Amino acid sequence: MSTVVSASTPSPVAKVSAKPDIGAIVKFVAVLIIALVVISPLFLLFVASLKPDRFQILADMGSFRAFWVSEPSLQNFTDIATFSGALPFGRYLVNSLIILFCTVLGGVFLNSMAAFVLAWGRLPGRAVVLTALIGLYIVPQESIVLPLLSLVNKVGLGDSFAAQILPWMASPLYIFLIYQFFIQVPRDIYDAATVDGASPFRIYWSVFLPLSLPVLATVAILLGIETWNQYLWPLMVTQTDYARPISVGIASFFGHDSVYWNSAMAASVMMMVPVLIFYLAFQKWFVSSFISSAVKG
Amino acid sequence: MPRRKPPIWGGRLQELGMLLPACILIALFLLLPFLSSFEIALTNQRLIPRPVPVRFVGLGNFQQILTDSAFWTALWNVTRFTVMVLPIQCGFALAIALLLNQKLPFRNFFRGLFFLPAITSMVVVCVIWSTLFQYPTGPFNQIVGFLSFGLVSPIDWLGDPTWAMPSIVLLSAWQAYGFQMIVYLAGLQNIPETLYEAAELDGANAWQRFWNVTMPSLRQTHIFVLIITTIQAFKLFTQVNILTQGGPRGTTDTLVHYMFTAGFVDQRLGLASAVAILLFLIVLVVSLVQRFVVRDRR
Repeated sequence: MSTVVSASTPSPVAKVSAKPDIGAIVKFVAVLIIALVVISPLFLLFVASLKPDRFQILADMGSFRAFWVSEPSLQNFTDIATFSGALPFGRYLVNSLIILFCTVLGGVFLNSMAAFVLAWGRLPGRAVVLTALIGLYIVPQESIVLPLLSLVNKVGLGDSFAAQILPWMASPLYIFLIYQFFIQVPRDIYDAATVDGASPFRIYWSVFLPLSLPVLATVAILLGIETWNQYLWPLMVTQTDYARPISVGIASFFGHDSVYWNSAMAASVMMMVPVLIFYLAFQKWFVSSFISSAVKG
Repeated sequence: MPRRKPPIWGGRLQELGMLLPACILIALFLLLPFLSSFEIALTNQRLIPRPVPVRFVGLGNFQQILTDSAFWTALWNVTRFTVMVLPIQCGFALAIALLLNQKLPFRNFFRGLFFLPAITSMVVVCVIWSTLFQYPTGPFNQIVGFLSFGLVSPIDWLGDPTWAMPSIVLLSAWQAYGFQMIVYLAGLQNIPETLYEAAELDGANAWQRFWNVTMPSLRQTHIFVLIITTIQAFKLFTQVNILTQGGPRGTTDTLVHYMFTAGFVDQRLGLASAVAILLFLIVLVVSLVQRFVVRDRR
């Protein structure tokens, strides 16, 4: 909002003059240098993933050759794609995508449905449910994972996709975020729909969902990043490669005597690329999502 | 009021059908484990049940934790981590936010760039930084050697008890500052321009404007950022689990790592649940402090 305001106010004459002042240039160069230094580790990763020789990667790290690859090769990536590397990373990546897709789709749907009933439903006891949800929001995931693991093992869900999808689909935070959006929808819109005799689900589906794309995108982005980066839970719940996500796969490189740096680098790039594509496409949405999670959470 | 009779019962059943799926999942996978952790913490239950019946041990688990020096080390480490990471991470985030809040060419591009580490998975961050920390020829050792003209010998960053925690701090701050940065940016954009104009009329220089306009206006943002960073810091696990396994000599052991080792590695579910409850209490207290401080000033 404020950027719009500041853009429309006439700027001081000095700043419109053709000659940019020296201070502005210095500032720009400073920001550029800081940005390059801060982002250089990510750049190193992408460069290193194109070097198939893992000893060369380590040898190059200590010099400026770390920023340069003379003979770029996709060998590491083809190894992963054809399952011929040290670990089945192709499989881990597919697993992660399956878990991501199911969690985000189910999460957006279930959370928004519940939020709609809490905001506009006539069901008795809604206030109690809402208070309970807000109270539960404070419980950190780390505090419940061990009892949850024991529970999941007891019902035979251990080492499954379901165990990685079902527990994190519905979430008090996201229900609350969508709820806050829904209660700001003008009453007239809801009333108009009820006069037409539409059922609650119909009102939700054809009136409220289309209205709430911004908040649904926010939830999808936050839940997506969270799911993609899950580590502690899949580390405990997956015992085989069957449902293991890529985060745990990459981490299993550590602790061996020789780390396969080339595969680890390529796998890391593959883990970053999907996020990066979405981020580049929806950068504004990403930033506003994180802000709304902060302000309301 | 419309005369038309809405299908009340059908409508309510449908509402129930819409509300229940999410509530059942939360009850099963959040509320139930949370409540059962209080019960489990009073027993000697194992992760994989043994033929021996589970015994009620009262507060024995808590007693055992509170007399275990490894637990106090973990708590101390997490405190140390928090105290180090708070100023570095939040200070850097504020500095970048201040820079990016000014008129600057390609400002949005820079904002996007500076936010990149925040969307990078911690596992990927560990892969990158473990190469940066390589002993003895990694980039950090090269830089240290270069700056000291070779006087300082290479440091085993993650393997040296003195340096392991500071290294984890640096890596964690780099990964996470982006979030605090955008919160600060949002806070900075809410400061009315007129305040700065008034300060300028009063002859305040840039330094005075920062301390007398910017900092006081950011008060709520500061509180929020400090609280959320503290809570995050107390949950430190992934980096430590991947890079140091709590070592060397327990100097990077954390609460969650202690809990993970007790419950998952050693299979002592009862003991781990007791740690989980203590972690919850710490998070609860920090959150309550925030509510209290924020409400106090409103």
